[in-house]
Formats: sequence, C-alpha cells, structure tokens
Amino acid sequence: MDSRTVLVLGSGPIRIGQGIEFDYSCVHCVWALQQMGYRAILINNNPETVSTDFDTGDGLYFEPVTLDDVLPILEREKVGGVVVQFGGQTAINMAEGLASAGVRILGTSADSIAWAEDRDRFDQLLNRLGIPKPAGKAVRSLSEAQEIAAQVGFPVLVRPSFVLGGRAMEICYDEVQLEAFYGLAESANPGQPVLVDQYLLGKEAEVDVISDGETTFVPGIMEHIERAGVHSGDSMAVYPPVTLSPAICAEIIHQSCQLARALQVRGLMNIQFVIQNHQVFVLEVNPRASRTVPYLSKVTGIPMVQLATRCMMGESLKDHGYSSGLWVPTSGRPVHDPARPLEPRTHGRICAEADLEAIRTGQRPAGSALGIEAPPLYAVKSPVFSFQKLSRVEPSLGPEMKSTGEVLGIDTSYEAALYKALVGSGITFKPTGRVLLTVNQQDKPAAIQIARELAKMGYLLAATSGTHQALREAGIESQLVLKIREGQPNLLDAILAGEVSLMINSPGQDRQEEEEAARIRRACIETGVACITSIDTAAALAHALPIFENPERASCLPYGEYGQASSVRGSETTSTVP
Amino acid sequence: MKRILVIGSGPIVIGQAAEFDYAGTQACKSLREEGYEVVLINSNPATIMTDEETADAVYIEPLTPEFCERVIAREKVDALLPTLGGQTGLNLASLLADRGILDKYGVQLLGTPLSAIRKAEDREEFRALMREIKEPVPESWIVESNDDLKALLDHAPYPCIVRPAYTLGGTGGGIANSPEELWEIGQRGLKLSMRSQLMIERSLLGWKEVEYEVMRDRAGNCITICNMENFDPMGVHTGDSIVVAPSQTLSDFEYHMLRTASLKIIRALGIEGGCNVQLAVNPDSFDYYVIEVNPRVSRSSALASKATGYPIARVSAKIAVGRTLDEIENQVTKTTKACFEPALDYCVVKIPRWPFDKFTTGDRTLFTQMKATGEVMAIDRSFESALLKAIRGLEVQSKDLRHPKFSAQSEEELKTSVRQPTDERLWAIAEALRRRWPIAEISRLCRVDKWFLVKMQNLIEAEQALGQPDHEGTEQNVARALQLGFTPSQIRALAPESPRLEAALSNRSSRPVHKMVDTCAGEFESKTPYYYATLGRDSDDVLIELNEGEGASQAVIQTQIELGVSSEAR
Repeated sequence: MDSRTVLVLGSGPIRIGQGIEFDYSCVHCVWALQQMGYRAILINNNPETVSTDFDTGDGLYFEPVTLDDVLPILEREKVGGVVVQFGGQTAINMAEGLASAGVRILGTSADSIAWAEDRDRFDQLLNRLGIPKPAGKAVRSLSEAQEIAAQVGFPVLVRPSFVLGGRAMEICYDEVQLEAFYGLAESANPGQPVLVDQYLLGKEAEVDVISDGETTFVPGIMEHIERAGVHSGDSMAVYPPVTLSPAICAEIIHQSCQLARALQVRGLMNIQFVIQNHQVFVLEVNPRASRTVPYLSKVTGIPMVQLATRCMMGESLKDHGYSSGLWVPTSGRPVHDPARPLEPRTHGRICAEADLEAIRTGQRPAGSALGIEAPPLYAVKSPVFSFQKLSRVEPSLGPEMKSTGEVLGIDTSYEAALYKALVGSGITFKPTGRVLLTVNQQDKPAAIQIARELAKMGYLLAATSGTHQALREAGIESQLVLKIREGQPNLLDAILAGEVSLMINSPGQDRQEEEEAARIRRACIETGVACITSIDTAAALAHALPIFENPERASCLPYGEYGQASSVRGSETTSTVP
Repeated sequence: MKRILVIGSGPIVIGQAAEFDYAGTQACKSLREEGYEVVLINSNPATIMTDEETADAVYIEPLTPEFCERVIAREKVDALLPTLGGQTGLNLASLLADRGILDKYGVQLLGTPLSAIRKAEDREEFRALMREIKEPVPESWIVESNDDLKALLDHAPYPCIVRPAYTLGGTGGGIANSPEELWEIGQRGLKLSMRSQLMIERSLLGWKEVEYEVMRDRAGNCITICNMENFDPMGVHTGDSIVVAPSQTLSDFEYHMLRTASLKIIRALGIEGGCNVQLAVNPDSFDYYVIEVNPRVSRSSALASKATGYPIARVSAKIAVGRTLDEIENQVTKTTKACFEPALDYCVVKIPRWPFDKFTTGDRTLFTQMKATGEVMAIDRSFESALLKAIRGLEVQSKDLRHPKFSAQSEEELKTSVRQPTDERLWAIAEALRRRWPIAEISRLCRVDKWFLVKMQNLIEAEQALGQPDHEGTEQNVARALQLGFTPSQIRALAPESPRLEAALSNRSSRPVHKMVDTCAGEFESKTPYYYATLGRDSDDVLIELNEGEGASQAVIQTQIELGVSSEAR
C-alpha cells in the first residue's frame, strides 16, 4: 500500500439488526490500525457513538456512509485502503461500489463478499465443498413454490431475495399459509425471485471466525437456546455449547475452516448453523464482523477485532501464535501482558484442526479436548426488546429480528449465567400472582417439565384449559383460567388485575387463537408482566430457578476473573447441564 | 476518595441507546486522567465502556441494587457517579440511596446532589421551584391514583398531555383529547411509572420546542454549550423530532431570553455538570414555558457534544470531582478552556431513525412516547444541504425528498399526512410543496415554522428545475442544486442525460471541500482533525505526515484557515 492512511467505514444509525455492536468493532479496528503504525481515519454519521468521538481515530469525517460522501474523502486523504468489514451491512454493501471505483478493499475481497452474498454462487460453493444446507430454490411463481414445498416437505421458509435483515420472512407450515404468504414475499421486492427453503426445526449454533486466508481460528462456538425459527439476534445464546456433542462441534469447526479457505477470508466471518439428526447444515454466512463479536471477544479473551485487523493488513495468524482450530479456555490465571495486546486474556489452549478432524471422524474419543464438559465459565447472551414503546407491534419471536439490545450473564455455572441474563433482560417474577401457562400442543410435554420445576419451588400456577388439562394429568396443580373467547373473567382480566407474576405463552398456528394470544402478549407488555413466548426460553428459566430462589449462589466478579478458578469466591454452585 | 463507581445504562432500548456508551467511556477516561480508580458495572457487553482497558475493574452484571451492593462491598468503593448511565443509572443510584446502601458502605455521591436530581425529576417539587424563581410552567396536575385521575376528568383542559414520572423516553404517555382518552392513557401511565405518578399538562401543541444544553460547576460558573430547535413543533417527543442546531427561527431577543432562563434554572437547581433544559415558545408572541429539565448527560447532550465539538460527558465527570470550568482544557483547540462557550459556523440537522421498516404493522404516529431506535446527524453550511445529507445517511428507502407513497396520495390524503406527525411526515410536506400548496396553508396544517418550509421549498424548486429537459440553463441549475447539497448521483437521478449536465458535474467546483468542527468558528487554531464536507473553495486542514520508515507518526500541523473568517484572529 503506497499510503499509510486507512479509512474505516462506520455503521450509521442504530436500528434493529444493526446496533451498537458494530460501533464497538469499528472503534477497535481503528485502535488496532494505530497500534500497527497506520493513520486510521473514520467516517460515520451517528452522533451517539464512541466512533464519532473526535479523539477516537486520527481523523473523523462526520458524513453519511455512502459512496458519494466517501469518494471525496479518499481523494483528499490519499487513502491507501478502506475497511468495510466492521461497519455492519452499511459498510459491507459499499464494497462493490468502492472496488469498481478502483478503491482498494482491505481484507476479504469484494468478489468473495459478493460470492458469500449471492445465493446461486454460494450454493455452488457449498455443493463443491460437500457442506449440506437446507434444500430449496429461488422461484418466480406460486406453482413453482408449491412444487418445491412438496419436494422438501413443510415447514418451508419463504422470503424475498435481495432484501436485508429478515424482512417479509415467514415460516409456512402448510399449503394454505404458503398460498397466503407467497404474494406478500413477491411484492416485498417486485421483479426479484422468492426464496423457498426447507425449514429445519433443529438446534442452532453460530461461530465468528478469524482467518488470514490460510489459518482459520475459531474463538468459540455459541449455541442458541431457542430452537430454529427465532432470528439469531433474538435468541438467547450460550457459550460454550451445553448440548452439542464434541463430534458436532468438530464438524462445525471443520465446515468453518473449509468455508474461510474457499472464500479466502482475511478478517472476520460469521457462520450460522442448524443441527438436525446429528447433521450440521450451514444456514448463512456473513463475510464481516457480526453482532456477537464484542460479546465473544470479552468472554473468550481473544482480541478478535485486533487479530482480524492484522489479517486484513496482510499479517499471518501464525506469526502471532495462533493456528487453525478452536480456542479452549481452561481454569487458571491468564498470562496476559498489556504490552502484548494480541495474546489471549484467558488461560487456555488451541484444540488443533487435526485433532478436531480425528474427533469428527470418530478416530479418536473427544475426552476433554473441546473443553465443553467442564468449562471455567458460562456466558449467556439475552436479547432485550422495546415493545413497550411500540404499540401495535406483535411481540412474539420469529424469523424477523425484533430486539433492540442485549445483556450478558457470566458465571461459573450455567444456571447462574442464565439467571443473570434473564434478570438483566427484565425477565423476572412479579412479587405477587401466579405463573400463567398457555402453550400450544407440541410444547405441552416441555411445559409439564417446566411447571413441575416451578411447583417444586413453591410457585403457584394458572393455566388455560388445554394446558391445565395436561398439567392435571401429570399430577400438577394449577388454577384454571378462561381464554378470552370462553367468557369472563378470563386471562386478560387476570393480567390487568395484577394476578399474573409471569406469562409463558407459546404461539399456536390457529388464526383465532393467535389473535387472542397477541392481545394477551400486548397486555403483558402494557402492564409490565414478563412474557416468554418460546418454550425453550421457559425451559432455560426453569433451569435457573434455584438461583432465582437463592441469588447469593450467583457470583459477582470483574468478568476477567471468572475463568480463574482460584479467585472465584462465593460460588458454591456446581454446573449441571440439561 | 480514591475509587469511584460508574453505573452504565444497560441494554440498548428505545430511549436509551449508544449515547451512554459514549458518555460512560469518556467519563471513565476523564476520571482516570484525574488520578482516580474507576469501577464500572454494566450488563451490556457490546460497549467500549465494558472493555477491561476502560476502567480498573469492570463488572458485567445485571443492573440491580443487589448486584450493585455486592460490587460496592467487594471493591470498597468510596464514591458513586450517577449521572452518566442515563435514567437507568440515575434510578439505580436513587434506589441505593433510599435503601441506605450508600450510607452503609460510606459511599459519597458525586456531582449533582440527589436532592437536586429529585427536584428536577419530581414534577411537584420542580414546579414549586420554578414558581419560586418566577419561571413559567404550563398549568398541570399531579395524579397519583385512579381516584385523582377521575376527579380531574371534568376540568382538565383538552387536549392535554399525560406524562408518567420516572420512565424512559416518556413510556406510557400520550395526548388526551377527551375525558375517555385521559382515563385510558392515565390508567396505563400510572402502572408504568416507577413512582405511580403522572403529570397531566395543558397541551402546547404547535408551539416551538427549543432545548438548551447548559453546564455548571461547583463554583457556580455556568455556560451554554449550544441550543437546538425542533423542526417538529411541541407534541412530538424530542427523541422523535428532527432537530437543528443552533436554533434557526428565534430572534436574538428570544435566544437570549431562553438562554437566561436556562442558566437561571441550572443555578436554582444547583446542578454540577451537564443539564438539558426544554422550553416551549409561542410562535406568535414572546411567551414561553419551561417544559422539563434532564439533570444528567442525555441523548441531547451527546448530540450537542458532536454538534459543537465540546465533550460534555468528559467535562461533567471532571466537574463531579471538583474541577471548575476555567481549569479544564478544551481538547479541540488545546489552547482555550472549557468555560468558553462554543460557537458554530455551520448548521447541524439530526433526523431520528425509526424501526418501521421492520415493524410494518406498528403505529407510525408520533407523540410524547419516543419510538426511534437511533439517529443520524449531518453538518453542512446551510439548513438545506444539512437536511439532504441527513436524509441520505438514514439508510431508508428514500434517499432524497421524493417518496412514492405521498406522490400517489390524493389531495385529501396528503392533507392528513401533512397534519399528522409520523416518521414520514417530512416527505409528505415535501410533496405538498411540490404540488405548490401555499406555505401558509402547509404551516397551518403541520405547525412547522415557515422558515423551514421555505428552505424545503428551495430544495423542491431545485429538484423540479433539474427535471426539466436540457436547455442553456442546465449548468446553472446543476450549480444551484450542488450548492443546496444534492450530490452528483442524486442530480443524475433527477435530471435527463445531457453533455451539459456532465460538463457541469465534472467541473472542479462540483466537488466538496472539508471544513473543521473546532468549537470556536475559526477564532482560535484547532488541533483536532474533525471534519465535515461542504461545497466551497478551500478546505481546513490539520495535516499529519507519517514517518513511513518507522511507522511512527510525526505530526506536522498546518492550519489553513479560510480567507476572511479569521485572518485577524490568527
């Protein structure tokens, strides 16, 4: 590069799907560039952020992040290259335009970015690598959509192509829903095909990988607590995984390394997976820093943005002591030296790609190689919503993202980390009233388990007819509450009268039931009653109940100390994993 | 005193966004510069403030009094700075004080005393104080129960505004046009208020809304950082309003009348640090009312900091530990002190970013409950160009003042769209101007000041001129459009292709130059490379040349100040 000046593109205004996380990454990228001796300048137009603090970089341009506004700055500053990886979709979307204007894109090339984002090319890549993905196709008519649905089987995910952030996306469970929704997806982006994909109802997981094109390092795997069907930004996620087997984790790393190499990733990439019947499918690849980067950087102690920036600028991971594989933290005091900012801040080791390969193919037992049996800490991320401010917005979770922010719960036990994430995000019991359960048919077995835990802890329960019946058959006592259409006083009255301490309500597929459920969920929001709409979130809550009963069992430490077993005080909990 | 606890604002929600990461990070840095140790608690991991480098001990724990107490006990904290974590931080500090936790551990509260915070936040106490210092407040009633509410239904002035006390972004508030609506909104607000307290207030719908960011230290020195005027009149939450800084439609007399009032208020409250004062001004007389005071760092103060280059959170933190404005250095100029009031030689426009591209079924009307998730700010030399720049940066469907939804509306439909505040009203107003509705008529419908409408009309006229078939005036039209802030690609999208158009756009003078935000309008030399683009002749520069060989940077500073602005000052 003939100039030592680098421009970092910011992420613009905070919106749903593109929050403060991207500002965090941009700021760290600027600092990393400065450490390397570059002159790092920033462009962004969000007045709320650290990135637009005038002393963050070596220069601040308070301008919109668009091609028209960036090009004159490049000319004036004689910029050597532009960083598009950290400013979310705003910045990455400019890669193509900048590249065709002859601007040097640092890190992963504009062509690789387009490759990951173009559906056809990406499908071909997965086929070539032998990586499975949910079956599906881009179609141009309802009859074609029906044909695909018949081939792959319901449910199917239907969405318009070339529309960002999960807009106008729906899971269709039958012909009727497909027919009803197809037109909406088509009109969301007229002239473009509609994507119809098999919908896998499995566990979801995601990784953020750092790669220099050759070496691919994975700081950690995050497992989603809610099953597929909930947008990754709206699901709770736990690090390290609690239910994934070592072989599945090894498969995830294997696929990640293959993808990073094939796409010649230089910097960060985020990959989302779904696991069904012990098979790992790739759902989506984002060739940029994702919203989980700050959270994962903090809990793994890996300076992810700094390393990614080094890779972007042509340095190799090997030179900094990293090799292909997964970071496995172990208990103990880290050897972190502030003078060596690229070293991990946690005590641990790298589980090498070759070892993972042996575990993946069953040639070797996993033992404690992946560190998921007894990790030094658990970290649970929980989404936070702003439904109270937005009337007429349906608060149940689905494939479209709805949360505005997130909190993190860290502790040495999974229960305590869950407890902190739930409490931090405002899910807690009101001091009076009953826990009200009203769940759909397929969630009833799980609801019985949850109700049993609640009853054991002395919580009083209430339920609508179907759930009440199921609980009674399982020998669990609950007060019967009427549904809205069954007369009065019903559950809506109970909520308004302050008789409900927490609501567990999973959406059904019946239209009338759903309309009622939506009114109930809104009522919860208006009255400040926590409302859980996924049975998996409720199960997590049940798992954390011992800590709700006795919060002193949770620790309270500076987060850097959680991995250091010797310094953990006041935490008697031992971890049990469901 | 050695160890100071800073409470962050927790997760991003509507009404409390990234501004508190910016404020908190600055405050931690500022306190450590002063030699203190900082302990931080925040549950939001996606923040710079929770980096281990930001503070001496960082706790990512739930923001509850229980966890705060454990942190206070474990870290042997001596003092607490409560005014930097938004409403969450302030509420938590007040709970810790009420429960006796601060006394138990001997923790001193820094900055504005809690009694002053309560005086600013409790409607009754605030009104009493305003009466005492003879500052006008709109007639209002405090309601603390359903019975109070019922008793008021018959004699409240309609329309009236309902505001719950102690909530974020005005949660649960609204405008009631009838006793029925007052009953409904009031009941909901009582449930959502942390203190079960509401204020019912005479509506000042249609008045101008103006904000002053002011600063005071322990010695009683007070300054104004900047004032801001809302494009949308009273009735829309400031977080949902388009805002311009400095104010554009106030006369000098009005500006100083409101400035004096704001300084009087901050003195009377005894604030130590930054504070935001909201005022309503009658567009047809010199009447004004004090609406509310935020005795802490806020979204508006982040905006004011970026709009002026004056770091409010940083200076507030220093004031909280006893420094005075005359002692604190202005970081931008490095030669002046923090007691210099910033001067602006440009215009700033903020537009909120709403989530209705995602929540297509959501209620888009705007009133006293904030709905925006974020915002953009644009700096330029005129209101027109700053407005266009802000729109361009919003990343919404419309990149300029055109919007297919409104061009398809009938006259009647458009009238409603202009009257009713929504996230898209700006484009409805633009469409009305395009249809040549009289300015007076548009202003009557939306109550937006005619000055703003005339400026928008300039943009619409430029847009329409560009749309004409190519003629000898093309070059002049292009020059005019560029001057008003249209970018070359916007101009290409509006004008028919022609060699004259291309010639006009390839002209050297069609490219922007970059000017500095220097806090002092060029009066002093500035050493901070903080720029905005504008159409003009010369750029401002702080040029830094890098020593390529060692990778270390050696700063060579040259400042070129535009002719005529400050040759004498240099």
